[in-house]
Amino acid sequence: MYEKEDLLEVRKVSKTFRSGSAEVKAVDEASFRAQKGEVTVILGPSGSGKTTLLYLIGSLERPDAGEINVFGEDICRPDADLVSYRRKRVGFVFQTFNLIPSLTALENVTLPMDLDGVPAGEQRRRAEELLAGMGIEGRLLRARASRLSGGEKQRVAIARALANDPDLILADEPTGNLDSATGRVVVDILTGLAKREGKCVIIVTHDEGMLRAADWAYQMRDGQLRGIEI
Amino acid sequence: MRSVKRGLRSFVRHPLANLVVVLLLFVCLTFSLSMLAVKMAADSQVEEVKRSVGNYAELRVSLEHQMQVYQEQRGQDPAKRQAEARKMSEEELLEERAKILVPEQVTDDFSMRPEIISYDKVLEAVVVLPDITGPGVETLLSLRRRLSPGSAQASSSAGGSSFLFEGNTHGASASDFLRGAKRLVEGSLYTYQDYLNANPVVVVEKTLAEENGLRVGDAITARITGAEGRDSEMELTVIGIYETVEAESGGTGQDFQTFNPAGNKFYAPLSVVQELNSTPGYVELGSYYLDSADSSRTLSLAFQDMVSEGLVEGDKYELATDYSDFESISDPLLKVSRTSTIALAGALGACALIIVLAMFIIVGGRTRELGVLKAIGATDRQVLLQYAAEVLCVCLVAAVLAAGASTVVSQQLGDWLLRENTAAADQASQAQGPGDLPGGRTGIPALRNMEENLYKKGGRFSFSSSPTRQTAELDVIYRGILLVYGILILLGISLLGTAVPVVWINRLRPARVLAME
Ligand SMILES: Nc1ncnc2c1ncn2[C@@H]1O[C@H](COP(=O)(O)OP(=O)(O)OP(=O)(O)O)[C@@H](O)[C@H]1O
Ligand SMILES: [Mg+2]
Repeated sequence: MYEKEDLLEVRKVSKTFRSGSAEVKAVDEASFRAQKGEVTVILGPSGSGKTTLLYLIGSLERPDAGEINVFGEDICRPDADLVSYRRKRVGFVFQTFNLIPSLTALENVTLPMDLDGVPAGEQRRRAEELLAGMGIEGRLLRARASRLSGGEKQRVAIARALANDPDLILADEPTGNLDSATGRVVVDILTGLAKREGKCVIIVTHDEGMLRAADWAYQMRDGQLRGIEI
Repeated sequence: MRSVKRGLRSFVRHPLANLVVVLLLFVCLTFSLSMLAVKMAADSQVEEVKRSVGNYAELRVSLEHQMQVYQEQRGQDPAKRQAEARKMSEEELLEERAKILVPEQVTDDFSMRPEIISYDKVLEAVVVLPDITGPGVETLLSLRRRLSPGSAQASSSAGGSSFLFEGNTHGASASDFLRGAKRLVEGSLYTYQDYLNANPVVVVEKTLAEENGLRVGDAITARITGAEGRDSEMELTVIGIYETVEAESGGTGQDFQTFNPAGNKFYAPLSVVQELNSTPGYVELGSYYLDSADSSRTLSLAFQDMVSEGLVEGDKYELATDYSDFESISDPLLKVSRTSTIALAGALGACALIIVLAMFIIVGGRTRELGVLKAIGATDRQVLLQYAAEVLCVCLVAAVLAAGASTVVSQQLGDWLLRENTAAADQASQAQGPGDLPGGRTGIPALRNMEENLYKKGGRFSFSSSPTRQTAELDVIYRGILLVYGILILLGISLLGTAVPVVWINRLRPARVLAME
């Protein structure tokens, strides 16, 4: 199947936001490792810096200090190829889904492949396959993203995150906007990705119930990360 | 290419927002393109007018001087004058006759001006043709005779009918033939060579020729007007017969209805007419066509310079132009051009404002989308291309519709503008008052008309007294250059519209945008 190897290594990463004279240390020397085929859950109250940490890993923010190695490559180096990293190494799943409302479910999933220059036929085939895997089929494929239900949206969003077959899935409160039943389906999908396809899945949440899906768990408080037993 | 496709898709997927922008742009662009078309039409029409009106000047004896000569002679006893004339030498007699004429040399010198593209010299003279009968030209000639001391004595002793002769350097350049008021129907017109060689040839009016049984090749005897007892004769060969296409507009008075002095005019080489009139080396006027109305002012200034340098006797000669005609025709056109330029600038400004505001609203409303695109690995270039394509679509649809609409409305708009400006000009000229005509220096109305009558328009004594006001028309024709301008405008507003997402994307922090609820 796949090797359980270290995929992600976060080392003493810090991020401070300054607005005027006020300073917020959103992430404070956070360190952890994650492997392929495992689900890592980072638990923390609101404002503890979870999202910031996830965006640092996803290269949407740059850390003030520290290293983030993905397959041994430091993405914080100034010459890192972030465009290709965002396209192929990492897939984001957001609490608010962030689908493009004017596009159909199918088009939302083909979009990352389109940006990467994948041929149109290949895009479609793979998108349909991914969406089928998420239980999105038939007329839903052609439905505008804005018309889908929350659970459908999140499943389309996961399919989009998988479009270019990244190793790393970063999920920010993926069940935050869903009812508990739908939330469970989404969590099952995410754990399935780790178990069956060997993805390295990182979920940040304030929902302790999420811990049941975790292989590894961390507690985040005021930007500081601490491992917890499960 | 994929980015462009995504842009097109985005354009189609946001029909309502885009339609609103397209509509607003369409209105402003229609107005812009129409104003542009109108402006270009007005400008090109002015250029066209410049080449046909306002590009004429003639050097001639001023009417004041003619009046002065007439006044002097009226005071004298005719018998005494005739006695004096008999004692005069040829030279003295010539000088006496040429009092109201211009030395050919002066007109020749003036023709060296670089603005002048064609040049003719004209002399009208009353010639006695003993064997020819035809409608008299008495009414006109009585006036002419009073003004012209040379021929006064001649006709008093003449046995036959008097006819008006027009001489110039070649027949085709006579203003009547140029204007199309007269047309050759048989034979030919005399040439410049005929003028140089003083070939005794003449072009005769058709009815007159028929009544007198004249054919091409026949000879006519003309009397050369010398001093008393010094008359001699000249044999003229008919080389051409013309018909009058457009009779000179007589005065409004009944008396002038049948009076058609130029209708049976004879046309002959200038040198021949000079000989018949016994005024060799003298002409009535030099007529000059300029390259453009723009040169009219330069030429007038040059004439004034020559006067002040003493090269020309300013109290005797004048340079008359038809520049005021050009002004009155082109003025409304220029006003239209100016108005439409301002309107064009305003409409383009509105287009710019619309596209920038619209893009602000559109891009602002899609900030999250931009953040998503960046988060999933779109480059700035890809995002920009997509938005540029969408903006271009909006502008293109608006521009195509506007181009179509402006073909319909631009002529109307142009006509309306022209009407407004012509009406304004008419009001302004009426406000000036009728008693104070510009250029009318002579008090007597009939003479004032003569002052304004140029050889180009049929001559000073043509009695085409009512100055028919030529009005400008505006033909909005679609030219290739308009398409080029249209495309430039299209690209300009598209670029401006794209500038908004450029700024936006540069400032965009995806992390910030995506975290927004
Ligand atoms: N771009 C920013 N500029 C300034 N401050 C920021 C910015 N992003 C986050 N912060 C601050 O950093 C801290 C951590 O924010 P973060 O969004 O990472 O928390 P979180 O754990 O995701 O909270 P939640 O559970 O509410 O989503 C907060 O105090 C927040 O106000
Ligand atoms: Mg958060």
